Amino acid sequence: MTFDTALRASEILMALAFIQQSAEHLTAAPRERIIFALRIILSALLLAHLQTAWVLLGLLVLGLWALHLFQGPYNGGSDRMSLLILACLCAIAWVPDPIWQHTIYAYLGFQVGMSYFISGWVKLKNPEWRSGLALADVFHFSAYPVSEDLRRWANAHRILTLLSWGVILFEVLFPLAFLSQTLLMIALILAAGFHLSNACLFGLNRFFWIWLAAYPAILWLQDRLI
Amino acid sequence: MPALIPSWRFFSTITPSVRIEYVITQLDALTNADWQEFRPRATQLTSSAVIKRLLWNPHWNETLFLVTCAERLISAPSQHSIDEINTRLLRQLTATPRPPAPSQYLYFRLAFWERQGIELTKTIEYVSEGTPIGGAVNDL
Repeated sequence: MTFDTALRASEILMALAFIQQSAEHLTAAPRERIIFALRIILSALLLAHLQTAWVLLGLLVLGLWALHLFQGPYNGGSDRMSLLILACLCAIAWVPDPIWQHTIYAYLGFQVGMSYFISGWVKLKNPEWRSGLALADVFHFSAYPVSEDLRRWANAHRILTLLSWGVILFEVLFPLAFLSQTLLMIALILAAGFHLSNACLFGLNRFFWIWLAAYPAILWLQDRLI
Repeated sequence: MPALIPSWRFFSTITPSVRIEYVITQLDALTNADWQEFRPRATQLTSSAVIKRLLWNPHWNETLFLVTCAERLISAPSQHSIDEINTRLLRQLTATPRPPAPSQYLYFRLAFWERQGIELTKTIEYVSEGTPIGGAVNDL
């Protein structure tokens, strides 16, 4: 995958994710509506590949405005990934040197790998995750399960222990997928499936769309390094 | 900087989980008040509802934001968190065919659920001041 192709794929996927996120704010209070209506317009311009550098800068300003409005992220990790991708794409659009452009895009690819590895590592260190108890607690009393019916899963201790170890091992071993392009493709398909199941079970739909937007960066980085 | 070097420590520990409960009543009439959970989750979701929520999930994401505000209100209290919770509760509660009377007040409280041994326990850690419905509706 060439740098330009991967970069354009990231721009398109991020613009689509931003439109999805922003549309959800159009029924909110007026000040919030204005920010996200502007974000939809700029995302559409990004899709159309018009004035890309200025559009990315405008999106970054809106992102910081939203951070101020909500006094932090609105949607936790998905906002963090949104801002990271946006900051990297914006920097790439404004730095003239191709070496710096490649370095910044490589950093985005590196962070995608870290998002899985660190998430797995903190679970691996926690005995409650290793025993399956933490995942049982997520189903039992956390704010995340989308329906009361799902809370019954908290009683399936053996399955939850297996699932916990499946998630931990997948996340911790994710960096090894870097060794081959086929392995990385398989790992990213599994990772997308993981985000999709989180969207279905815990309502974390924004994570699914925005992580997809970062995948071209890690695919390009792997292609470049190995 | 957190945007450029993000923390990816998702679900590192499972902490007590907050629910926002509210009541609309007369000023300071909280004795025996009938507290209701704000946006209780559905008993069951159909497959089509789950698929639809992949693209359109504004209430759920707003509820998760309110959970964040509630947690901030305990760890680092601020007027911003109180205002966000009050405003978003009032927007939903007054947008019904039978909105509450303007002379009434909205109160909310934060109930934290956690597991102690095998038992689930609920602790009320915050009760808000009353917000007049009549005065607030014009600001929504």
